[in-house]
Amino acid sequence: MPELPELNPVIHGKLRLALLSLLTSVVEAEFTWLRARTGSTDGNLGAQLTKLEEAGYVVVEKKFVQRKPQTIYRMTEAGRKALTEYVQALKRLLGSAIEM
Amino acid sequence: MQDQTSAQDLKDRLDLIESMIAEGRRNTESWGWTFLLWGVAYYVAIAWAGWGQHASIWGHSHVAWPVTMIVAFVLTIVIGFGKGRAQPGTTVGRAVASIWISMGISMLLLFPALSSSGRIDQHSFVASVAAMLGAANAASGMILKWKMQVACALVWWSVSVVACFGSDAQLMGVFLVGIFFGQIIFGIYVMISDAQRHKQNAVAHA
Repeated sequence: MPELPELNPVIHGKLRLALLSLLTSVVEAEFTWLRARTGSTDGNLGAQLTKLEEAGYVVVEKKFVQRKPQTIYRMTEAGRKALTEYVQALKRLLGSAIEM
Repeated sequence: MQDQTSAQDLKDRLDLIESMIAEGRRNTESWGWTFLLWGVAYYVAIAWAGWGQHASIWGHSHVAWPVTMIVAFVLTIVIGFGKGRAQPGTTVGRAVASIWISMGISMLLLFPALSSSGRIDQHSFVASVAAMLGAANAASGMILKWKMQVACALVWWSVSVVACFGSDAQLMGVFLVGIFFGQIIFGIYVMISDAQRHKQNAVAHA
């Protein structure tokens, strides 16, 4: 019997999973846009994005646009690879759960 | 970890990934207000150009369409710039935006030229406007895989065909119905569905 895959704990959190999934479909996204799309609070969103940044899955850029601060997030290649592997692991686990 | 993870939880996570990817791709849905704005602008232009001829308070009905369209265009740019600053850049977003910008420029160039040369009548004007709106809605609907917008395109294409026949009064009726469903109702639907999705997201991640 094949061994069941481990799920990446960094991605497994619902909000972190939602954030990575959102970032996979855009070139870059602003903090406020991510907040609006996930319905999260500033504090929780900031904490989860920091975890993703520490794991090397997103990069952050802070800049000023018309004198207003903007925090821009981009998904890294490592983040894309990790999400792909996570989805594959999820599908394998789901497959084995159905077979049981 | 997966020992404690139920099959339903795994499926929920797959659904979450799918919905969030779709959310990022469909950020143009936040532009529902533009459909509403332009729908109202068309109604104002029609009312000004038509009934304004008989009412002194309106006056200058020959400039009704150019003035209304320019005001709507400026409002779209100003409001859109404010809202769009927080929107992320996507290839899909750029593709959809380029379709609507190209269509807008085509209209702004073509109709004043046709009008000043006198080589357009009401029927061909409505047919051309409706065909262009149909093409733009269909193209962005197909890019976004959004059936409602493709349905909106079908409304406009139907208006375009029907506008080639019938009396002037019938033409006006068809155009008003087209604006109502293709702009006003569609715009309100988009705004409501956008607000509902935000609420659902808030609940899902609470």
